[in-house]
Amino acid sequence: MLLAFAQLSAQAFAGIFAPLSGQRSWKLSALFAQMVAIGVASLPTVALANFLLGLVLAIQGAGQFDKLGAIDMVADLVAFSILREIGPLITAVIVIGRSGSSITAELGTMKVAEEIEALNVMGIDPVKYLVVPRLLAMIIMMPVLTVLGEAVGLFSGWLVGTMSLHLDPIYYVQRSIDAVEQKDLFNGLLKALIFGAVVGAVSCFYGMQVEGGAEGVGRSTTKSVVTCLTSMLAMDALVTALVYFV
Amino acid sequence: MSEPPKHKSPYALEVRGLTRSFGPRKILSDVNFKLKHGEILIIMGGSGCGKSTLLRHIIGSLKPDAGEIYIDGTEITKLNDREMSKVRKRFGMLFQTGALFNSLTVGENVALPILESSDVSSNIADLVVKLKLELVGLTGFEHLKPAQISGGMKKRVGMARALALDPDLLFCDEPTAGLDPVMTAVIDTLTVDLTKKLGLSAVVVTHDMTSAFRIATQMIFLFEGKVIAAGTPDEIKNNPDPILQQFINGYADGPIPLKLSKDDYLKRLMQA
Repeated sequence: MLLAFAQLSAQAFAGIFAPLSGQRSWKLSALFAQMVAIGVASLPTVALANFLLGLVLAIQGAGQFDKLGAIDMVADLVAFSILREIGPLITAVIVIGRSGSSITAELGTMKVAEEIEALNVMGIDPVKYLVVPRLLAMIIMMPVLTVLGEAVGLFSGWLVGTMSLHLDPIYYVQRSIDAVEQKDLFNGLLKALIFGAVVGAVSCFYGMQVEGGAEGVGRSTTKSVVTCLTSMLAMDALVTALVYFV
Repeated sequence: MSEPPKHKSPYALEVRGLTRSFGPRKILSDVNFKLKHGEILIIMGGSGCGKSTLLRHIIGSLKPDAGEIYIDGTEITKLNDREMSKVRKRFGMLFQTGALFNSLTVGENVALPILESSDVSSNIADLVVKLKLELVGLTGFEHLKPAQISGGMKKRVGMARALALDPDLLFCDEPTAGLDPVMTAVIDTLTVDLTKKLGLSAVVVTHDMTSAFRIATQMIFLFEGKVIAAGTPDEIKNNPDPILQQFINGYADGPIPLKLSKDDYLKRLMQA
């Protein structure tokens, strides 16, 4: 199982770079189609989730900081937790639920309907034709969605800070900027990039693994979502530890 | 004027000693047959006799435990993926369900092997698609999605796609399963016509006897993983083998063991 996963991932990552050595590989049009399906279509949900979490962070933080008499710390809290952790995390959760599952179900249905075998018989490599565009779109769109989501999350924190906590709008922004370093932003984006690679590889792998009809598609999709979530959280912990302790 | 030799070997397909087991179950044991260029070979046999497994070995999806498969003289069981995909460009396959890509239109489905295997421009691909759809009598259906056409039309589109790269060898997996008698006749006529017009050889897996005798030039009968009869349709019809006769005439009683025969059932009931 792990060996098969490693094999498919190696093939797919090699496939991404195949055009550099002049080999026939994936097509730009297929990549764009997947970027729209995975990325653009996820944007509203990603934005909503980040918006709500920005609100929650600000409101929860305000309750605690009010006791300390340091209500303006809300800006710091929202800024660094969104950039370092919450933004990449909630974006990945949404993308896994929406796009990761649909990749597994789509590839799985194609496998069941003999479409993958048909590709093989036509001499078309299903890894290059189906897996590579999905994996690459995932790797590109995850950081993009994360940046946009983070912007929405920061905005909703600012809304709570200025509307409900009556902080000065300019002061709030200034505090937010002072609270974080560029490292925090890059750390979050590095996480997003890794999440994209993990989610893309895992969801494609489970799709190509499907055996046994509609039931198999359902089973693989469940496994895919669970594996994506747990491995995403594991990578999150690993990257956080590496960046802040090493 | 002498034609350049089109083929390397006098046989389009040759299978020697093919054996394959899944765990303890022997699915294919020592299967041998040959197919000359331009002929239509029917592989017959009941459900679970190993027909589909045999076909999957010939198209290179499965590797045998022992034995060799030659496609126009090239041994394919030892080839790696890249060499195999080169061989595969010379054959077309019609799948049982059509295996059309549901996200693509009929035209895009037929164009897929053309566009993915070479750098032809989309104008030329469009032209080829029109020609191939014309061959199967589906001109003007390019823009429909597979979900919008009937089962018989899907099979014909599958046929057009199988022919897209002008193959030498055509494989059909139960091409008439689930079709009405008229559509079955249409698909059969199409298979015969195309092999004649395009000079290709075909391997058809089926258990539809009417259709089999209508199109075959050679037949083999597979039973429990072994070839128990082979020959021309006339030879098969006159073969006295009781298993074969039961199968081609479709008798319920005979030497082919049923999984639940009457006395076994009674015995099991009494024991329980």
